[in-house]
Amino acid sequence: MSALQIQIPISFSAIAPEIILLATACVILVVGVFLAGERAHLLSAAVSVIALGAATAVSGIQFEDTARFAFDGTLRIDAFGQGGRMLIFTSGLLAVCVAFGMRDLRERGVEYHALLLSACAGMSLLAVSNSFVTTFVALELFSICLYVLVAIETDDLLSLEAGLKYLIVGSVGAAFLLYGGALVYAASGQLEFDRIAAALAHGNPHGVLLLAGVAFVLVGLGFKANAAPFHMWTPDAYEGAPTPVTTFMSAATKVAALVISLRVLVTAFPRQSDVWEIGLAGIIFACFIAGNLGALRQANVKRMLAYSTVAHSGFLLTAVAAHSALGGRALVYYLTIYAAMNVGAFAIVAIREHEIGRPVEVADFAGWGYSRPLLSIAMVVFMLSLAGFPPTGGFLGKLYIWSAAVANGQTYLAVGGAIATAVGLVYYLRVPFALFDRDAAVPAAISTPNFPLNAAVSLATALVVVGFGIIPSPLIDLARTASASLFG
Amino acid sequence: MTSALIFLPFAGALVVGLAPLPRRLTELLALLVTLAECALGAVALIGFDAGGGAQYVENREWISDFGLNTSVRYHVSMNGLSLFMVLLTAVGIAAAVGVAIRMGRERPRAYFALVLVLESALVLLFTAQDLVLFYVGWEIMMIPLYVLMGVWGGAGRRAATMQFVVYTLVGSLLMLVAIAYLGVTAGTFERQALIANPHEPTWLFFAFAAAFCIKAPLFPLHAWLPSAYRESSPEVAALLSGVVSKAGAYGLITFAVPLFPRTAHDWRWLLLGLALAGLLYGSLVAFRQPDARGVIAYSSLAQMNLIVIGIFAFNVNGVAGATFQMVNHGVVSLAAFLLIGIVEARTGTNLFASLGGLANGRPMFSTVFLIAALWALAVPGSSVFVSELYILIGAFQQEALLGAAAALGIVLAAMYMLRWYSALAHEDDGERVPAGMPDLRLGELAIAVPLILIMLALTAYPFGVMDRIT
Repeated sequence: MSALQIQIPISFSAIAPEIILLATACVILVVGVFLAGERAHLLSAAVSVIALGAATAVSGIQFEDTARFAFDGTLRIDAFGQGGRMLIFTSGLLAVCVAFGMRDLRERGVEYHALLLSACAGMSLLAVSNSFVTTFVALELFSICLYVLVAIETDDLLSLEAGLKYLIVGSVGAAFLLYGGALVYAASGQLEFDRIAAALAHGNPHGVLLLAGVAFVLVGLGFKANAAPFHMWTPDAYEGAPTPVTTFMSAATKVAALVISLRVLVTAFPRQSDVWEIGLAGIIFACFIAGNLGALRQANVKRMLAYSTVAHSGFLLTAVAAHSALGGRALVYYLTIYAAMNVGAFAIVAIREHEIGRPVEVADFAGWGYSRPLLSIAMVVFMLSLAGFPPTGGFLGKLYIWSAAVANGQTYLAVGGAIATAVGLVYYLRVPFALFDRDAAVPAAISTPNFPLNAAVSLATALVVVGFGIIPSPLIDLARTASASLFG
Repeated sequence: MTSALIFLPFAGALVVGLAPLPRRLTELLALLVTLAECALGAVALIGFDAGGGAQYVENREWISDFGLNTSVRYHVSMNGLSLFMVLLTAVGIAAAVGVAIRMGRERPRAYFALVLVLESALVLLFTAQDLVLFYVGWEIMMIPLYVLMGVWGGAGRRAATMQFVVYTLVGSLLMLVAIAYLGVTAGTFERQALIANPHEPTWLFFAFAAAFCIKAPLFPLHAWLPSAYRESSPEVAALLSGVVSKAGAYGLITFAVPLFPRTAHDWRWLLLGLALAGLLYGSLVAFRQPDARGVIAYSSLAQMNLIVIGIFAFNVNGVAGATFQMVNHGVVSLAAFLLIGIVEARTGTNLFASLGGLANGRPMFSTVFLIAALWALAVPGSSVFVSELYILIGAFQQEALLGAAAALGIVLAAMYMLRWYSALAHEDDGERVPAGMPDLRLGELAIAVPLILIMLALTAYPFGVMDRIT
């Protein structure tokens, strides 16, 4: 009888964004039954934009520098999580815009938007999750949505194959996480991160059961963060998925995975940091090597960018490995820039894909700079930022992350990152060289269609990337608040 | 004042790049901006107090709270060396724009906008007093160079650019890690504060030195140089050799050595040895080049290594000579590459085998070429002679044998420069020289004569520069 009397306090405000998103997803599904084709697509897109905008606003209002717990400690509502939420929702919003300009998803507009909103809700829950149970539930919620989204082009074999690969590998990752959580529970008797740390505050910090659990958790999160050597699904899934879905995945999944990684490691396992630092360092170097070597060989732009996200996991995890307030700031700053760069770059790839009607290779950009100068300059900005050139945010982000690494005595990670960046230049700069290739036959003037929404998304994100590179203080202030809410 | 010098070309770049003006107006506008920059530089020179240290200071917050109580500051100022590097930049860019107009570059809006961005970045890096700000200028400088080389270059531009990119960035990214390290450990990115309170793990010095020595370039880090100088358009090659390479030497003098004085001193023999090897190697290879650009490219390598010898001689004479030589060599190699550019525009080649006889009935041509050649070989009485003499004295003071070996480089310079001049100017007209090719035109003289006048001015009054630099 006593078990039934446990009262879990319900806090609607803590999960307001999830409620908004899931309720809207339900509405879209129901209304989708009565509407068809173009009108359903239009309506679901409009409703999704409103819902995502509202969810962003709600998270923004609750952007507080002190942490508050909800649902009996299973959620931790703090500025760090809210910042992650806002990034996820904004990426989702931009993905809606990218998809709206494209024809291919129009027939499945209802499913696309409902799944996208559910995925956002799952990621959002993950960003504020404070227990292994909610972590797993949130992870599965967004993962299942993404499996379907990747395979949403059911008449496209590549898309189906990508979805299947992602499903299998992703499930393995989730299993690792679940098993890791179970081992940690066995070692500590707790599921909530802060209580795990409290339970483990005394005694041997390096128990075998516990360390195995931490390792499994790292592996499980590594799969979601497409960190090497758990990245093998990334190029296929990114290539096969419809480009708007890739746009969303590349930005939002990474934000959610990195936010929870830092949160779980610093709040649940502070005393084990000496061990997981080494594990992370191994993963980081694997990311640099696998990501860069993979990207060097790619002709397909989406695959190249997919491998580039693997290499970038290395940079982002460097900030996690620093596990300091400075590292948290660096992570939030760079995640913002990172999301903007990837959304913008994939939005441009989507445009080019529609112009030529097949997967885009680097060579397909040859001479494009002369027919679409503005978009090409935006693409150059993204590539320069990915490669870490000033005055873009990508440069300051790297400086920030390396400062955090150095401050934590991990100069070797910064040096590894510098070498990885230099190698990365070779493939990033291929794109600008192709865009402004003087010898290339200028692609026939492309009058129709114009993709104004995609163009707007890529130009806006380019402005974000350059703007926060030149005037970084507003973003750094937000990042400081977010980081302080986690590190106190 | 400093900010005006930094942002005037940048504003010009925006206008030139975005305003849909016809070719003539774009060119005119770009030229006017560069001339205005020269005038602004001249005003700065006149107002400069020779013994006054850092002047035209502007210091405000850029990133107020970077973390760990560190801020990144927009701190720019000019000391004597900065001032003359800025002037060299202004003159070099103006001359390059002049040549580009003469050549009629394709897509002039993009071209001139990039050249102006380059100018802006160069001025920023020559005046920045905050390490992050310096790095920003240093890297932004590279972007227009890549594009100018990769888009407007010659047939082998793609490979040349890629090589240049990878070489220069490996160096500068390590420097960025070192900057992050300094910022975190010292709690400041300010140059003065870091000099006052040196932190010197050995690797930091090498991380900085690598970036600068690749750019200069120090032997044996010069593999990018021959193709970059050959495949770029002549005005870009002129800027690379005349101005951008000086950014490397400037970095050594202003950052690498003062930030890590003990490490630099401990390791000076490594750099001196490499520089000496580079001086002799570059001079010998220059003597064997089949083309006019090749000679100047390798002579530029040799001269930059001579400058490095002056810097690492670690005495007043060596450093004074090195800094003055930076100015001299900048002007001379600008002139040499731009003159080659004019020859290439007329004949379509710079191979000695197809050229010759430029002096036949073309007095202006031969005079201008001869002056450039004589200055490049440091004829006694010229400003280059003064600066090389100082470097040699510095080298002798450090180690007599070093001075003696370096002096050999001066002899070799006479050999390759006289061969250069002779192959271009003497004998009968080469096969690619059009029959009855006219002498230099007014537009071309307008580019060459100011550079020659600057060389003469430096010669007539070398202490006008040296007093301000040291």
